Amino acid sequence: MGHKIYAYLDERIRISSLMGFLLNEPIPGGSRWAYIPGSMVLFVLILQFVTGMMLAFYYGGTPDHAWDSVNYIDHLTYNGVGVGRLIRGIHYWGSSIMVIAVGIHLLQVFLWGAYKRPREVMWLVGVVLLALTMTASFSGYLLPWDERAYWGTIVGTNMIGLVPFVGEAIKAAIRGVLGLGALTLSHFFTLHTMILPTLFILLVMLHMVIFRRVGPAGPFSGTPEKLEATKDTFYPRQVLMDAFGMLGIFIFILVLALVRPPGLESVANPSNASYSPTPAWYFDWIFELLKLIRPEIVGVVGLPVMISIVLVLLPFLDKKPVRSPFRRPFAVLSTLFVLTSMLMLSLMAENGYKKLVPVDRTAMLRGEKVFTMSGCIGCHTLFGKGGKIGPDLSEEGLVGHSEHWLTVQFINSKAHFPGSIMPDFTYLTPQQQHDLAMYISSLGRMGWPDPTKAP
Amino acid sequence: MDKEVTYRVGIPVTGMRGESLGRLEKVLLMESRHQVTALVVRALDSMHIVPLERVAELTASDVRTNIAPSEMQGFPVFDPTQYEEVPPWFFPPGHHIELGALVTIKPFDVREQGEDEAMTRRAFMGRSVAILAAAIGVSLLVPIGGYIMAAATTPVKDSWLDLGVRLQDLPVDEPVSHPFHAFSVSGWMRVSEERSVWLIRHSGASDPLSEPEDKILGLDSASELSNSDPRLTVLSPICPHLGCEPQWHKGQKLFICPCHHSIYQLNGKRVSGPAPRPMDQLPVRIAPDGSISVIYEQFAIGIAAKKRLA
Repeated sequence: MGHKIYAYLDERIRISSLMGFLLNEPIPGGSRWAYIPGSMVLFVLILQFVTGMMLAFYYGGTPDHAWDSVNYIDHLTYNGVGVGRLIRGIHYWGSSIMVIAVGIHLLQVFLWGAYKRPREVMWLVGVVLLALTMTASFSGYLLPWDERAYWGTIVGTNMIGLVPFVGEAIKAAIRGVLGLGALTLSHFFTLHTMILPTLFILLVMLHMVIFRRVGPAGPFSGTPEKLEATKDTFYPRQVLMDAFGMLGIFIFILVLALVRPPGLESVANPSNASYSPTPAWYFDWIFELLKLIRPEIVGVVGLPVMISIVLVLLPFLDKKPVRSPFRRPFAVLSTLFVLTSMLMLSLMAENGYKKLVPVDRTAMLRGEKVFTMSGCIGCHTLFGKGGKIGPDLSEEGLVGHSEHWLTVQFINSKAHFPGSIMPDFTYLTPQQQHDLAMYISSLGRMGWPDPTKAP
Repeated sequence: MDKEVTYRVGIPVTGMRGESLGRLEKVLLMESRHQVTALVVRALDSMHIVPLERVAELTASDVRTNIAPSEMQGFPVFDPTQYEEVPPWFFPPGHHIELGALVTIKPFDVREQGEDEAMTRRAFMGRSVAILAAAIGVSLLVPIGGYIMAAATTPVKDSWLDLGVRLQDLPVDEPVSHPFHAFSVSGWMRVSEERSVWLIRHSGASDPLSEPEDKILGLDSASELSNSDPRLTVLSPICPHLGCEPQWHKGQKLFICPCHHSIYQLNGKRVSGPAPRPMDQLPVRIAPDGSISVIYEQFAIGIAAKKRLA
């Protein structure tokens, strides 16, 4: 039966020659385990597509239903098996594994020197796919609409708002409203489930077409004659290696989903002053780095811009044909340096998540008067009003400064930022300093946007 | 030189100190010299070329084809870019190989050894790929199937609804359509709904119409049987024919469905019309103070059995 169908299709649409084209792709130097990361990324992406469609089956994308629907998915059982939690677990862990797989793929292409001529365009498409992966992680984070999702997205969108000139407009376009609301959620849902998958499909196809046009880079050493002699085709050996890798990753994700199912925190509460948002683990290193870089805008805007510029320009700056990492010490050492830094920063971040300062409500209300009296609004923006000389303080409470840090900032800001032009408010009494610190710590955390209006 | 040397592709290749180098993959022929120059050996990680002068047990002169140059005209040309290995049909029985820049020593023809069903390495790997893909596919599709069916098969939790009316306030032998508020649950959402049931208070157990027809015919479930009361019958407002709502006609003392004229008596018994079963009786509880609670059940329409919808 199968043979007959195959023969029928072959006669009409020449399926053998198509399969031959797809499968008999020559791999110079033979199949290797080292070549599987790209296929792993594609596999996890497909897994995300499938489980994502399943989640959309039961998801309600409005603030009054999103959390309920995710909670409902978490409790869906079929014959006593928690299938809902499993599907969500696969999608949840799949996103983390996807980021890892993309990272490994990028690292391998870099170390192998596979981005060099003639594969620059493929590398650029890959960089765009990396950006899409990060955007997908970020936009998916909000959808459960729990505390973590809400506060994480507040901080994330605020970062976008710091971009000069266009930041506020982009932030407003993404959020749809001043705070996070129904429009933000439907924007993120559309981005996550319609725009990004479409772009993913188009760009992955482009990536693959270019790949087949230029061919695989192959090993970084060996004479052309040797590579030709040891040439292998994609099918069956490389396909089999890929399949083993996919099974391994699938089992890994499945085990994570079963052993550590994703949690669902309580439903997002914009007036929860005590919530201390933390980013997804793969953004930890950025989080930690941002705390070290002042002024903030340099870190928030400069860091991603710098990473993008390095990734985009890499194949155009590094034009030497030599591919072996053993003869590219600078490239390898800088990679090691970046990786080590990311790891160290991530560990520091994981260790250093501190609770935000607990806010005393009465002191906070007095602090607002101190804020008005001291004329802070002359330089700082608050809820869209005020001066532009100092940083926007609308969500300063989420930054996580200690009361001591804030007090020092009020009376001697040059201790933190030597070039600061902020006046020293030495006339504030200790009581006023405490009250003001309470007020600043509450900004963006409770009774959004104005903390004094909290119930 | 009359010795015919046949090397099987895949034979183990051993190094000088007896260590395993891998398995023989190909034998390379330098076409200009008409001479075998190297072996290609597949180790676990990749393939290596072993120059023939480093090969101890195989010399160039050992490798021969048993075809005369004149005979070679008749053979098909093997294109190594099209096939990973020499396909089994390539060799005429008893012959070795001849191909462009590449010489592969003919594998033992497995068919000659009687292993008709023996798989080639390529087919084996292809089948392994299929098995791995199927393992992933099945272990993903089975939970997805359950996930899709889960909502539809989640049993409805029965909840007793207090109708806010007391038995003693109802007219005797006169059905009352009693509206009430209820919630319909759809997944994660509860929707407030207006519903109604027919409440029929009976004059006494002696009344022949005090026994619901469902009970007489034995259509009731255990829950409906244990939650019934001779003083009161509660009927679903939904016609079991096609889901219209029968109306009580006071003069005729009959329920008549406006859609297709199914006609029922006071106890739900079908008198005439296309309906397949009597009007559905619902479980009811009457508290000592006379307040009435029901479970608002819904049943499949158009069939003779009283089948509860999940």
